[in-house]
Amino acid sequence: MSYFFQLVISGVVVGSIYALSALGFVLIYKSSRVLNIAHGQIIAAGAFITYGLTVWANLPIYLSFVLSMILTFFLAMSVERIFLRRLIGEPIISVIMVTIGLMSILDGLIYLTPFGTENFSFPPFLPVTPIAFFGVSISWTQLVGVIVTFTLIAGFSWFFKKSTVGISMRAVSDDQLASMSIGISVPRVFGLAWAMAGLSAAAAGGIIGNITGLNFDTLHAFGIVVFPVVILGGLDSILGAVVAGIIMGLIQQFASGYLDGNWGLNGTGEVLPYIILLIILLFKPHGLFGIHEIERV
Amino acid sequence: MSANRWLSTGNYFTSYKEEQRIFATHLDRSVLLCFLAVLFAWPLLFEVSNKQMFVIDNIMIAMIAVVGLNLVTGFAGLISIGHAAFVGIGAYTIASFARLLGDTHMVLTHGWPALIVLAGFMGALFGAIAGLPAFRLKHLYLAIATLSFQMIFQWTINFMDFFDQGQTISVGRVFWVTGRVGRSDHYLFWYYVILVIIVLVGFGVRNLLRTKYGRCLVAVRDNDRAADAMGMHPGLTKVYAFALAGFLAGVAGALHAYLYRGVGIESFTLHHSINYLAMAIVGGLGTLSGSFWGPLAIKVLDMQVERLSEWTGGHLAVATNLATALKPLSFGLIIVLFLMFEPRGIANWWRIVRSYVKLWPFRY
Repeated sequence: MSYFFQLVISGVVVGSIYALSALGFVLIYKSSRVLNIAHGQIIAAGAFITYGLTVWANLPIYLSFVLSMILTFFLAMSVERIFLRRLIGEPIISVIMVTIGLMSILDGLIYLTPFGTENFSFPPFLPVTPIAFFGVSISWTQLVGVIVTFTLIAGFSWFFKKSTVGISMRAVSDDQLASMSIGISVPRVFGLAWAMAGLSAAAAGGIIGNITGLNFDTLHAFGIVVFPVVILGGLDSILGAVVAGIIMGLIQQFASGYLDGNWGLNGTGEVLPYIILLIILLFKPHGLFGIHEIERV
Repeated sequence: MSANRWLSTGNYFTSYKEEQRIFATHLDRSVLLCFLAVLFAWPLLFEVSNKQMFVIDNIMIAMIAVVGLNLVTGFAGLISIGHAAFVGIGAYTIASFARLLGDTHMVLTHGWPALIVLAGFMGALFGAIAGLPAFRLKHLYLAIATLSFQMIFQWTINFMDFFDQGQTISVGRVFWVTGRVGRSDHYLFWYYVILVIIVLVGFGVRNLLRTKYGRCLVAVRDNDRAADAMGMHPGLTKVYAFALAGFLAGVAGALHAYLYRGVGIESFTLHHSINYLAMAIVGGLGTLSGSFWGPLAIKVLDMQVERLSEWTGGHLAVATNLATALKPLSFGLIIVLFLMFEPRGIANWWRIVRSYVKLWPFRY
């Protein structure tokens, strides 16, 4: 039974990181209908900036975590300004392609740094001994990671519910024309959505980096695995991203905990999300919380 | 065909049948035939090393795959981020024969033309399966569906004992009427095979696009509701587009397997899918000639970047391997720049050059 609870805990940990990664993705999709395929690279960039500030600039890790969130905020904002601003109104296919090109560019830039090929890990700053109760253990980094994640998600939800900027962002995602008519600058909101996505991506990157260590392949894989999460949650729902993130984390952990090694199966945790994705696309394409706006063709 | 190109001021079509012709003038046709003759003759006239031939073969295989991708993405307007998986399906069809029968079995070495076609049909089958969500979904979601097909494909190969966990499965040398194709002729032999297939594919697709079945792809891309009202079934059309793309990808994959004399998962990853997409974009989405320009441009760019990074690597003391960094960087830049400044791709430049030559010495 404790094995079960151990899986639940690691599922929630992984799932909350998925939720945070998916959050940024959903933000961009919700406001500008762009599928950001380069999200994993932004997560990786955030993680590497955090590491650089902590280890090379010798800043305290809390400060560098916040600083990297701010830096990635501006990085993502400039990405939107340089590459995507001029594509507003272009067919959706070119916009997706641009994010694919962006993914390659960021890949190339990261490979120019040592982070592309080597592995790094953050200096430990929390107690190393895991907390154990009832035969289940959770490490301090995981615990702090989950707490930070949920604080951030709560912060984002508050931002969208209450703040003026958040409300204007929601307005743009509902109706661009109407929001323009009441004086909201739609391109600015797009930029802001990218910036917020960058911010949440940097946070996700920092947390992943602390839990699993810094490896470029692991980090940018999060950009692909958010797809099953956001589809399950319904592409444009923040609540959906959070719930689906946790569900996906649990499914992955249970799959690799119970299925691997039996019946000749291996690595099921990696593939199950995509199988679920295909099934959802076939039968319930708007996901759990998405708006029923998909037209039949 | 118009009476005399040198006297007439343009092509004036007097019937739809005339407009649908592949060659507007006799000259057009003769130029193409001469070009094909050159393509067939040049390896016999010049000394080509195996290494150069290998590069050319590679580019040509990519052309076949990109023609398929262009059908689904350019003509039918459905983004496919899983094209390398379909190429992989073709290659692994050959590989599974090699695993079942042994890599030098008669079927594999003598029956390769049939196997290449079979690989195409396997690709078509899986293409249709991956395209099934098209019955309900529009392009955005379809892109994600193809992406997940790619991931499932990679996982399946990586964890199946039958496919040796994605390690290279060797495929034997083939036989031709003159006997076993040896080491020195291998790349030349496959050059001719691929060339014949490209010519067939090129004419096939060109002809397809002037039939009902080709035009319905474009109709569904431009407006699927209008296409529905005109009596086409958009869902079926999309699945059929995926099947066509899968067929060409499967053929390309089988050729890849025979050319490399082995199949390994590292040639069919997500990275390669993106590569094919880039080729289609740079060449020009929705044009047939673009499918030939794109692979050429991207592969040449790749080689130049490799040469550049070797050169700088020799002159500068850098710790990291520059090629791994510069390749994706240049590649991403080229996609983005083409999308921003020349969304119609190299095919558009080709069109401009052609019309310039045609009208010379007049401006228009």
